[in-house]
Amino acid sequence: MDITSLIGLILLVGIFLLLAIGVPIAVAVGIASGTAAVVAIGFDNAMLTSSQQMFRGIDSFALLAIPFFVLAGVIMNNGGIALRLINAAKVLVGWAPGSLLQTNVAANALFGSVSGSAVASVAAVGSTMAPLQAKEGYDRNFSAATSIASAPSGMIIPPSNLMIVYSLVSATSIAGLFVGGYIPGILWALTCMLIVYLYARKRPGLTVSEKLTWSQRGKIILDAVPSLLLIVIVVGGILVGVFTPTEASCIAVLYALVLSFIYRSVTVSDLKPIFLDAARTTSIVLYLIAVSSVMSWVMSYARLPALVADGLFAISENPYVILALIIAGLLVVGAFMDATPAVLIIAPILLPIVTSFGMDPLHFGVFMVMALSIGTITPPVGPVLFVGVRVANRRIEDVIRHLIPFFIALVVLLAIVAYTPSLTTWLPGLLGL
Amino acid sequence: MITLKAGLDRALEWVCVGLFVALVATVAWQVFARQVLNSPSGWSEELAKYIFVWLGLFGAALVFGERGHIAVDFLVRKLPRAPQKAFGMLTHALVLAFTALVLVYGGISISQLAWEQTIPALPVTAGHMYLAIPVSGILTLFYCVHHLIAIGADRMAPVEAAQAEVL
Amino acid sequence: AQFTPIDESALRGGGSGVEAETVYRVAFNQPETHPQYVALTNLGERMRDETDGACALEVFPNESLGPQADTIELVQAGSVDFSMVAGSLMENFNPDFVVFNLPYVFDSKEHQREVLDDPEFTGELFSSLEDKNISVVTGFHGGIRNVYNSVKPVETPEDLAGMKVRVIESDTNIAMLGQMGGSGAPMGQGEVYTAIQSGVLEGGENNESIYANLSHDEVAPYYSYTQHLMFPDYLISNPTTLDRMAPECRDFLETDMATTTAEEGELWTEEVERSHEMAEEAGAQFNEVDIDAFRTAVQPLIEDSLGNDFTRKLYDDVRAAAE
Ligand code: NA
Ligand code: NA
Repeated sequence: MDITSLIGLILLVGIFLLLAIGVPIAVAVGIASGTAAVVAIGFDNAMLTSSQQMFRGIDSFALLAIPFFVLAGVIMNNGGIALRLINAAKVLVGWAPGSLLQTNVAANALFGSVSGSAVASVAAVGSTMAPLQAKEGYDRNFSAATSIASAPSGMIIPPSNLMIVYSLVSATSIAGLFVGGYIPGILWALTCMLIVYLYARKRPGLTVSEKLTWSQRGKIILDAVPSLLLIVIVVGGILVGVFTPTEASCIAVLYALVLSFIYRSVTVSDLKPIFLDAARTTSIVLYLIAVSSVMSWVMSYARLPALVADGLFAISENPYVILALIIAGLLVVGAFMDATPAVLIIAPILLPIVTSFGMDPLHFGVFMVMALSIGTITPPVGPVLFVGVRVANRRIEDVIRHLIPFFIALVVLLAIVAYTPSLTTWLPGLLGL
Repeated sequence: MITLKAGLDRALEWVCVGLFVALVATVAWQVFARQVLNSPSGWSEELAKYIFVWLGLFGAALVFGERGHIAVDFLVRKLPRAPQKAFGMLTHALVLAFTALVLVYGGISISQLAWEQTIPALPVTAGHMYLAIPVSGILTLFYCVHHLIAIGADRMAPVEAAQAEVL
Repeated sequence: AQFTPIDESALRGGGSGVEAETVYRVAFNQPETHPQYVALTNLGERMRDETDGACALEVFPNESLGPQADTIELVQAGSVDFSMVAGSLMENFNPDFVVFNLPYVFDSKEHQREVLDDPEFTGELFSSLEDKNISVVTGFHGGIRNVYNSVKPVETPEDLAGMKVRVIESDTNIAMLGQMGGSGAPMGQGEVYTAIQSGVLEGGENNESIYANLSHDEVAPYYSYTQHLMFPDYLISNPTTLDRMAPECRDFLETDMATTTAEEGELWTEEVERSHEMAEEAGAQFNEVDIDAFRTAVQPLIEDSLGNDFTRKLYDDVRAAAE
């Protein structure tokens, strides 16, 4: 066996076996990659190089946006900002059939447009909406499903931590990815609204809960303006070139902090748990990125991507068929793995393949993030599903039944985005990104 | 060992919070210097990057202590108690081996190699910065040994119940 | 959808894919079109042919074995056999390398070549890193950097007054641009285009190839030949790696290096001409400047950088060879 195949085998079998017995993903990737490195360059060099790659993999100014967006998300989670966004969502879509469910979707999209994380979104929006929906007689399982299905839109609508991770692996512009995510992200929210509409049409009992006067509506929207300004500061600042994405994310932290102090939703004594919470999440992601860079290095050294491409092209040389295989593969991977490690492991292998038939790396990034975001709501490994179920105080089995129509609709949307590059690339092209 | 772990947990928590606050301050300074003072700072970006790496590595050790790293454990959960315990201990032994070889041994090697390599704009060497790896590794080793003993003595569940929330 | 038929050549894993009994891996940070990539790949193939397949070089482009700074450590450790690295990075290992990175130290590509090929100039410097497990095989031409902006043609330092120009992120570069009359703004290359477009910056400084390929000509059409920097790049290896090479391979590497650097120089000339044409088509204007005025302006920086007798003598010798 040549060294490329041997290293491929070690990585594939090693990671799979280690994951199956419950080894943390990061350590599974680390052990398999370290072993592959020993085969490639000998024991001492492998240990030194693995260690160096772990360090250098996270030694990046662009990655710094992740802890800041995570921190901003945790701060916004603590009430204040999230609540005002939910109220604004209610004014915007609360008139439609399925009022509180539509509000839930819109609130997730709005929260997503200021935060980089779907889990933060489902926690903040879901926990606020669940009691309101229950009080108005909405089915609590369907309500939880709505919240869970719509939360990942925030990972596609900028800012997005997952896009930052992808931009690091693929050397694509963060600003381009961010802007490219707008249309697919909004379509995601609209898809969820469509499912809610079809559900509510058959249940006329779900009326609009409270009629608001125009002055009440005006006040609610005005109240949400400072929170929504975050979008202008963060995304606008990046696009105009005033800030780098990292600087913008730091501004987001300071802005969210000041706003939360003004709203009194955060006090000085909350600060330690807030920072610690964000530090934990950040470290988990960073450690994953660190070991993944060891794996990327070994794969490059052994020219593994070329081997995978050969295998894929043995099945078909038609780009459309290959793309369908990739979509199916990403959905399966997303079911079993968290989105961040999946991007880190898969993007370096698939990127050369898709660019070889002319796919824009930006387009690939957005639809890959979308595919893996669908994975966050599917068992057995679905962080958004788990958190959403927990904050709604439901049982997973009961909620999953109602997730199925959302899942099918989102997979159709994914296919449309995958086969229609302009949905992703048009807006960035317009802005010269 | 239990009091030692409790003390280490507290200390690491404060180290992480401190590094995070320093990180926010450094990048905020960079934005301020460039946008307001109009004199871009030459050192803030390098410094921020290294604080960030240290935060990530020390935070990772803390999370190992809390058993918070993401694992795919739905298969192991289905097993009866005895094999679950065996896999729980095997898992920690593997974490221990990886940490000892790559982070501690490999980390000391790369740190030595880069001990005299200067970093532009900062008064430290690359080797000093690399020290974060073996130090984080040694802390993780301690937690691994603690967990191994605790699982062995049935003081700790072989599979962690709660899962961390990521992105 | 608008996908194209599969381009198999893009899938070799990005490398040159040469086969031999022993293949030495060369880490490289630029794409396959870069003059240095082409020259090194050709060197590797000649090596294979001349040694009857005993050894060859395989170049890994696009940072696939890591960014330059990381690959130096990998070369030191022996995990990677060779790497092409920027002169500025060598200063982290021996600050005396600064001499060849100073503004206006070289008058022309030919002057630079003459200096880099002459052991009188480079012998002591290049061998100074052997105890750190770095052997400098040779220096390569790395392009000539000029200032470009969105406002007007620059002819004298006064013309740069009030202009914010993007520089590589280091205090030396910020200081250099200040002395040249403008104001140096460190920034990642990826953000420069939008920064100039939005008026955050007035310009940048780089060679014609980067200028045209990153389309900076669209937002900053005035390209002025300040010729202030001519950083060499260095092909480095590890003393142990070199000692272990089969004698015929090692010999070939040494004897063929002149051919390689000459070819690389030619390729640069072609690349600059091609980029110049591309930029002109995009509407860029090129102009000559008062070089002596700029040279005088950066003298304080040069004086500050020559911190010891060795660097001062080396600098004076290099300058003497120019006249
Ligand atoms: Na978002
Ligand atoms: Na899943």
